[in-house]
Amino acid sequence: MEGVFFNNDNGYIEGIVRGYRSALLTGANYANLTQCDTLEDLKLQLSATDYGNFLANVPGSLSTSIIAEKANEKLIEEFRYIQKQAVQPLSKFMDFITYAYMIDNVALLITGTLHERDTHELLERCNPLGWFESLPALCVATNVEELYNTVLIDTPLAPYFKDCLSAADLDDLNIEIIRNTLYRAYLEDFYAFCKNLPNPSNEIMAALLDFEGDRRVINISLNSFGTEITREERLQLAPKFGKLYPQGTEALASADDIEQVRMTVEAVGDYKGFFDTSNNKSLEDHFYLREMELCRNAFTQQFTYSAIWAWIKAKEQEIRNITWIAECIAQNQKERIQNYISVF
Amino acid sequence: MSGAANREAVFPTRMTLTLMKGKLKGATVGHSLLKRKSEALTGRFREITRRIDEAKRKMGRVMQVAAFSLAEVTYATGDSIGYQVQESAKSARFRVRAKQENVSGVMLPAFEAYYNEENNDFKLTGLGRGGQQVQKAKEVYSKAVETLIELASLQTAFVILDEVIKVTNRRVNAIEHVIIPRTENTIKYINNELDELEREEFYRLKKVQDKKQRDAAALDAEMAATKAAQAALEAEEGLTASALSAPEDLTADHDEDIIF
Amino acid sequence: MSQTAANRSFIAVIGDEDTVTGLLLAGTGHLTEDKKKNFLVVDNKSSVDDIEAAFDDFTATRKDIAVLLINQHIAEKIRYKLDGYTNAFPAVLEIPSKDHPYDPEKDSVLRRVRRLFGE
Repeated sequence: MEGVFFNNDNGYIEGIVRGYRSALLTGANYANLTQCDTLEDLKLQLSATDYGNFLANVPGSLSTSIIAEKANEKLIEEFRYIQKQAVQPLSKFMDFITYAYMIDNVALLITGTLHERDTHELLERCNPLGWFESLPALCVATNVEELYNTVLIDTPLAPYFKDCLSAADLDDLNIEIIRNTLYRAYLEDFYAFCKNLPNPSNEIMAALLDFEGDRRVINISLNSFGTEITREERLQLAPKFGKLYPQGTEALASADDIEQVRMTVEAVGDYKGFFDTSNNKSLEDHFYLREMELCRNAFTQQFTYSAIWAWIKAKEQEIRNITWIAECIAQNQKERIQNYISVF
Repeated sequence: MSGAANREAVFPTRMTLTLMKGKLKGATVGHSLLKRKSEALTGRFREITRRIDEAKRKMGRVMQVAAFSLAEVTYATGDSIGYQVQESAKSARFRVRAKQENVSGVMLPAFEAYYNEENNDFKLTGLGRGGQQVQKAKEVYSKAVETLIELASLQTAFVILDEVIKVTNRRVNAIEHVIIPRTENTIKYINNELDELEREEFYRLKKVQDKKQRDAAALDAEMAATKAAQAALEAEEGLTASALSAPEDLTADHDEDIIF
Repeated sequence: MSQTAANRSFIAVIGDEDTVTGLLLAGTGHLTEDKKKNFLVVDNKSSVDDIEAAFDDFTATRKDIAVLLINQHIAEKIRYKLDGYTNAFPAVLEIPSKDHPYDPEKDSVLRRVRRLFGE
């Protein structure tokens, strides 16, 4: 039944997203890209794909950062287009996607404010996907107190701030803890929101977010060895869902070497191969591989919002791949060039 | 030749001569010592320049590997951590200590890297994502900076040695081309002057003797003349008192006979 | 000489964003008591004046810098300053950047090496 009404509101968008999805680079495209010897070659190869002549107006010589920037612009343009078409609850869903980037942007501005930098030039560094109307207003704040009381309250992230942090926290806590605390609140909120979406969106999104949450928990656990982050703090940063929750999360919070993390993670069937480094793959590579697998599977279902999430993630991976390949070419490190992850 | 002018302003005495001879000897010894020092330093210098050349080329590779590890961070975190890292930097973990090394009497500084492990500004960077890569990049870059510090030591040694060698060579050249010739000239001059003085002295003595002889001769002649006159007078007088001074006369006659 | 070297313990950097980020990760970054940084990020908005000012600050004004690392392509912009710089402390070292590989031909010190050996 859902399918009948889904197309009323969202059919057009889903069609567009599926169109975008088929424009993603394929294995054959990547094979061509890795054969390039210079960035100019790469540009030529990319012009035969959906990217077209996105690098046509770049003055001077190409660099990896320019390629990444332009590719990102394209992603943002496409995202903005579907965002404009979206109606509730899809528009809310898409807002949620942007919150992740907003957290990064706000964290950036908080860092700038803490160090009394000119926050205006920071705006250029913000990820446009995480742009919101009151973001420039954050620059007005000259100290953290002001930032918290008058400005952050007006942002879409206000509830996360309100629940987790006080003005004093902004001053005392490391920015990374703030960022991850916000992120946890955001993920839990998003998770709750997705639970109430019509089937099958809720199921697929739950699986995707489960993984997203687990990945963060594992990473935080691994990266907090030898730091002053306590067990309680680690628990604080862990979202309360996911395949690892609750026992795994608990165990990861108290783990203090990689072996313990590994035992906990491998107890979950899907995550078994994560610590397998035999084929030169790091944990991060495994995460990305897994994420892409989930995204690919997400496309097999119709009438779901998750296609948009999957497309964004796949597209981001694609940009990372292109940046990686460009970097390998620019720096003459061809032996590592195969390290990209081809989704389709 | 400028020999006359190119000497020290001294009084040509024997004492100065001894002094100058001592100075020449000192200069020669100093010259050979400095020359040896310059050679030792130049040897070292060449070695250092060769190593700089090598190290600079090696640096290219090291930095490339390091830059690549940063690319891995970008890949893992999905965006640039640059700004965050810049703002997190507070207290240097990686510092250098300058120590000294003695090469042929020249103190060459060498930088030594050391870690202040209490300071770690980036412990939490990439906490939620990419932390492993950040740590790896940190290590790779630490190694790279160590290489750079090594190179910086070489380069500083190069700059200092360059200066010292220039000074030493200047001194060697000054001794070889100015001080030694000048001292030699001075010695020659003193010798000349002393010879001259000696000759003058000899001539003077000769002249004096000459004069003395002439004077003596003149005196003798005068005396002879006086005597002759006296004799004549006496002879005249003798006529009157010849009986009285007969024995005297006899000796006087006799004397005259001996002289002439 | 030992006097001037003893208090120098920091490594200053003038470079593009990636170079600075990397070197800061290694732990070279330091803020003095009055919040002065020992690094400068040069992007295409930075003016030559900024670079010169930072160079003078690191080499002449501050006495706690032992080594100044500078990207070669940035050094090119103030080449005359590097050519004229002969002090032993701090040591100024030209380093490659990601997008600009190292070219020994341009290096002020290596050029002096070559001049000395009459090449």
